[in-house]
Amino acid sequence: MSLMKGKWRLKYGISSLFFACFLVSFSSVDYWKAEPYLLEYPAYFGGRFTVPEDNPMTEEGVQLGRILFYETKLSGNNQLSCASCHQQNLAFTDGKKLSLGVDGSETKRNAMSLANLLWVRNFFWDGRSSSLEDQAVFPLTDPHEMGQAMSESAHKLQETREYPDLFDQAFGSPEVTQDRIVKALAQFERTLISAYSPYDRYLNGKYNLTEQELKGMNLFMNGPSPQNKTRGANCGHCHGTPKLFKELFHNNGLDIAPKDVGRMEFTGQESDLGRFRVPTLRNIAVTAPYMHDGRFNTLEEVLDHYNEHIQPSKTLSAFLADISNEPGGSSLALTGEEKDAIGAFLHTLTDSTFLSNPRFSDPHIQSFKINSIRR
Amino acid sequence: MKKQLLLLSLVFLGMIFIPRLSEAQVQSNSFVSVTGEVLKPLKLSLEDMKAMKTYEVKTKDMQGAEHTFKGVRLVDVLDAAGVTLGKELRGENLTKSLLLTAADGYQVTYALAEIDPEFTDQVILLAYEVDGQPLPQGEGPLRIVAPHDKRPARWIRELTSIKVLFPKD
Repeated sequence: MSLMKGKWRLKYGISSLFFACFLVSFSSVDYWKAEPYLLEYPAYFGGRFTVPEDNPMTEEGVQLGRILFYETKLSGNNQLSCASCHQQNLAFTDGKKLSLGVDGSETKRNAMSLANLLWVRNFFWDGRSSSLEDQAVFPLTDPHEMGQAMSESAHKLQETREYPDLFDQAFGSPEVTQDRIVKALAQFERTLISAYSPYDRYLNGKYNLTEQELKGMNLFMNGPSPQNKTRGANCGHCHGTPKLFKELFHNNGLDIAPKDVGRMEFTGQESDLGRFRVPTLRNIAVTAPYMHDGRFNTLEEVLDHYNEHIQPSKTLSAFLADISNEPGGSSLALTGEEKDAIGAFLHTLTDSTFLSNPRFSDPHIQSFKINSIRR
Repeated sequence: MKKQLLLLSLVFLGMIFIPRLSEAQVQSNSFVSVTGEVLKPLKLSLEDMKAMKTYEVKTKDMQGAEHTFKGVRLVDVLDAAGVTLGKELRGENLTKSLLLTAADGYQVTYALAEIDPEFTDQVILLAYEVDGQPLPQGEGPLRIVAPHDKRPARWIRELTSIKVLFPKD
């Protein structure tokens, strides 16, 4: 009996020891403190954005997110990372009409630029996702994109030498979880701010637009009004403000009967047939091909579309129907010279510092790769 | 031959799309939700609106032509949802605003005091008819008409949501 009691005492002693260790490890979490990440952006972008309360931005979290963004282990065949379809030098697009997934099939829609996502509230061409944390799961797990279950991704990273440490620094303990993967990715994506184009320098009074660029900007921002003798292309109606997008979904007259129903697939609303997100035009000169299906190869084709080829339908945006620079005209009726001017203005939106900012580039140095392969 | 092919593919496309369209129609797009700082969140259909007391508002468009909009007063819809109006619209409640959202994502705001008849003579309408006709696609089924706004940028088309908000600051 006394022996049993002794065993129990021993067990009790061991478990209290464990409990004490647990308490110590728990209190060490309290001591973990990551460096807050300070977002910098021009005042003319405005402060209408939200960083989720359960995912505050830290230097360590952003750095981990950047490493994960370029991590091919997050794909089913260990060959694709987020950066495969979102390449920095192309403003985080891939130059392709549609992108290739791990299974060799094409994605449904064109890869979108990742500039200034901090201000976006509805992600994807159809706006189906309301946060970057939620958004990341789609491409990571879609069998036609990176094609790997989140649990498998967490498991693979946990098994590496370097990631547990990186997660420890970012989140205060070495556990790799699905939740932490998307949180870190979202933190990195919120830092992808493009605000140093010639157009920004113009807004800051540090660059004079050329005569042609200025003419293009005015045409871009103004609506046509033949009675007041103002010419315009009305692009700014949806792509206005210095952010060069508004949080809108419109049918921009690509097809009479759209093959891709667009936002309707998500909302189930008939009025959303053929409606797609209005994307930012920042860095637009380097993000060809254009539209949700990548159908236009050049900006000239895009301008021709809006000027001459708007297709009528029940859900065509009211802001594209029957607006013209000619009294009673049915198309925009811009001249070739005017289209060239708009093209010149669009080129002032290219932010070369964004395309080459080392803070956004691939951090996987050679030794890092070798370490993980050896493992 | 080409025409036949086109016809065939159109029929084929129709077969794919028609079931989806009718499914969407069942869900209907003529709902407006009233949420946020309300006692009773509402989801009103066009029929619900038509059962309420109607008002008419005459306005001039940008070309100067007169139009008559028919609908319900925004204030009555808010009242039905239990929003702090009338005697209750004082103190901190005067900091409340409405965030109106359209189907295309367009958003505008009004302060409650811009809508309450104790503060203003302006009748802001949730309109569903213009000149005796239902509002056209792209504008209706419901649109805000605020006659005192000289520029109709807050006459939000395809209204889908009204959210009553306290400021965060």
